[in-house]
Amino acid sequence: MTTVTGVGSTPLSGVGTVRWYRPDEALDLPDRPDPEAVDPERERDRFESARDSVREDIRRAHDRAAERVGDEEAAVFEAHEQFLDDPQLVDGIEATIDDGVTAEHAVDDVFGEFVAQFEGMEGRMAERADDLRDVRDRLLRELLDVDAVDLSALPDGTVLLAERLTPSDTAGLDPDAVAGIATVTGGRTSHAAIIARSLAIPAVVGVGEALEEIPDGATVLVDGEAGEVVLDPSEGRRAAVSELDAPVVDDHVATADGREIEVAANVGRPAELDPAVARGADGIGLFRTEFLFLDRDAPPDEDEQFDAITAALDAFPTDRVVVRTLDVGGDKQVPYLDLPEEPNPFLGQRGVRLSLGDHADLFETQLRALLRAAATEHGADLAVMVPMVARVEEVDAVREQVESVAAALESEGVEYAMPELGAMVETPAASFVADALAERLDFLSIGTNDLTQYVMAADRENDGVADLHDPLHPAVLRAIDRTVDAAHEGGAWVGMCGEMAGDPDLTELLVGLGLDELSMSAVTVPAVKQRVRDTDTDAAEALASEVLACETRAEVGGALGL
Amino acid sequence: MERVIEVVPEAGLHARPASKFVQTVNQYDATVTVGRADDDGDPVPGNSMLSVTGLNVQHGESVRLVAEGDDAADVLDALEEILTTPVEEEAS
Repeated sequence: MTTVTGVGSTPLSGVGTVRWYRPDEALDLPDRPDPEAVDPERERDRFESARDSVREDIRRAHDRAAERVGDEEAAVFEAHEQFLDDPQLVDGIEATIDDGVTAEHAVDDVFGEFVAQFEGMEGRMAERADDLRDVRDRLLRELLDVDAVDLSALPDGTVLLAERLTPSDTAGLDPDAVAGIATVTGGRTSHAAIIARSLAIPAVVGVGEALEEIPDGATVLVDGEAGEVVLDPSEGRRAAVSELDAPVVDDHVATADGREIEVAANVGRPAELDPAVARGADGIGLFRTEFLFLDRDAPPDEDEQFDAITAALDAFPTDRVVVRTLDVGGDKQVPYLDLPEEPNPFLGQRGVRLSLGDHADLFETQLRALLRAAATEHGADLAVMVPMVARVEEVDAVREQVESVAAALESEGVEYAMPELGAMVETPAASFVADALAERLDFLSIGTNDLTQYVMAADRENDGVADLHDPLHPAVLRAIDRTVDAAHEGGAWVGMCGEMAGDPDLTELLVGLGLDELSMSAVTVPAVKQRVRDTDTDAAEALASEVLACETRAEVGGALGL
Repeated sequence: MERVIEVVPEAGLHARPASKFVQTVNQYDATVTVGRADDDGDPVPGNSMLSVTGLNVQHGESVRLVAEGDDAADVLDALEEILTTPVEEEAS
């Protein structure tokens, strides 16, 4: 049994048969025949029919991607179709054929010129080169009659291995057929990893070159929880897979002694709503609104935001939906906002700081959409959460804004209602003043990814400080504990919406710390619900006290048996 | 017929504005070429996404449009509209 390790990116496991995907593998062109021997008419026909087949393939890929992950991810295929029909390319290829060149060599030559031209440029232009290569390879495969691995039609029980997967590769995968994916490169936050997670495909990324040693046709287990790819897994190891895949529980759950814990889903794009419902989530504990703003040329208007929010409310007609207001800045790029370049973007203008500062206009539009959504059929369950709060003044200013938006809607005769209002606790400052925040708000939600980063002064994307970026350090646990206590004393409910909340091995501890709600990637909802049912509140509280008394990370690990 | 227009969309002549530009050119009975207003480089055909995005025109830069054909004036009006509208209407 050989095991290689990487970064677990979807916390599920699967076993299957390896299929390597090597899209970059060179397509071997036959030697160029003598121009005299080429029949241009026949070559033009071959080119034309190849183009027709490729156009159909691209359209099919587009429709499948649109169905599985949404129109935004599918848009890349529209660009591919536009390139396929571009007169510069088509005319160039036809002219080359007329000079006595075969269709495949003409395609290779003409695409090659444009790829080279775009490759020399920066940013968006370099992406165009990737798109062109993709279209060229499709045409060449068609002309040479070479089968590509069709990612959307893999046989059941395939484990897909690749150097890297593009977002469009990943978006085309069929989650019912693919038992797992593992890649040589990539991190947890890479686009492909996030899509795999939303499709609930077990995934391990960033394995490195060791992955190359696993041959095509081998049987492997992908453990996205442990971050391992196991060649020829033992029976015992295979059995553990089924344990991870806990049965879905549709109802709200309580501990063995009857304390209700809400187990909700984090949702980052509309395509994740159905999977969250299917995994039995008790509503949404974190609805990120960034998807409305990223990867486009201008901000969304009020109606588009209203539609997205009501779609989330309608997906969970009887459960709470916590919508986070725009959280850009830091590392999130939104070109049209002209965000300032900052020496320390994570310590700069992000989240509520932008909403109350340079982008008050965006905030106002978003609040109008939220207050209107609160007045719709299922709007009573809406809760609004503000990110990156550090001071009570910010919460006061947000409330003022909410009231002024309400007054404006009132005077316009537009229907609206007041949603619950809360703040994310992700700065140490917010944790220290949680009592004052709780008195002003309906709820607090602890964002453990950022809170850990700020408490430990360790960048969450920096491998060099990965040991420090761990929510199980005593300092982070104590920040969580004081936040929960302060929230309850102030009469607010308190949730957690970081990766920590979705770790079933920590469920008992989090119940013991007193959290009312846990929100996570939908894939881990069933496992966490099972753990909640198995938990006894008294024992959990005793465990929490023991853990809070620990002075080192190692002691915490010991107390938790991890 | 020719016109010089400053490009207003934040993304410049890329992504959706470029795509819309090319689609619009194809809808009219006219031949359109587009080039940067500030240099003597050869203008490129306006019906090619590849050529139009390849100009790499950014927000705030100006382009020179040349149209010939029955719809020359109309297509220039339509293109001016696209190039001077900062926020696109949503297609949805």
